[in-house]
Amino acid sequence: MKAFNMTEVLKNAPVGEWLALSPSKDRIIASSPDLEVALNAAKELGEDNPVMMKAPSPYALVL
Amino acid sequence: MDFRYTEISLNPCTAFPAGVELKRPLLDVLLRNGKRAVSLTAMVDSGSDFCIFPASFAKALGIALPTGKSITFTGSADRPQVAHFETIQVAIWNENREEDPISFDVYAGFCDSVEHVGLGILGQHGFFSQFKVTCDHTNEVLTIT
Repeated sequence: MKAFNMTEVLKNAPVGEWLALSPSKDRIIASSPDLEVALNAAKELGEDNPVMMKAPSPYALVL
Repeated sequence: MDFRYTEISLNPCTAFPAGVELKRPLLDVLLRNGKRAVSLTAMVDSGSDFCIFPASFAKALGIALPTGKSITFTGSADRPQVAHFETIQVAIWNENREEDPISFDVYAGFCDSVEHVGLGILGQHGFFSQFKVTCDHTNEVLTIT
């Protein structure tokens, strides 16, 4: 089983902002520094259940 | 249920001059509190004592902070952090959604100081305590039974 590669979809993502991703996580539907703004923007664009995550810093390791 | 690892690239730095491809055990989880629900990506973290989510998800779920049930904890940051706890429902599907989701209640913490991480954290109490979790980095697969 090969890992799901998010490199491409995150390549131009706004670092530090909440991303509303499609359920398959192959595209960013909306983004905002504010979680609920990003959520609502995705819903207005027709995605009722986006997957939320923050765009990682290119240097951010998670400990 | 099997889940693929997620690969994320980090830019070159002095420690990793060629950059590094990180493979992380990430899951997409649906958090529910009554009629409110929101999905986010969460890291399976055996080194975390509890399940912790960014505080902004409490607001999205209609949970007022502070909940009156809090704990002070420490992580990699050199300062105490406070998490406010509430019981929520969690559902996890794998990507093809052909199987029924793994659903469970969890007494989870919501914390301002993990806001910058931008991920949920599925830790020992509430996640590992309820399931057998196998992280197979070599084969890039996470198994939950």
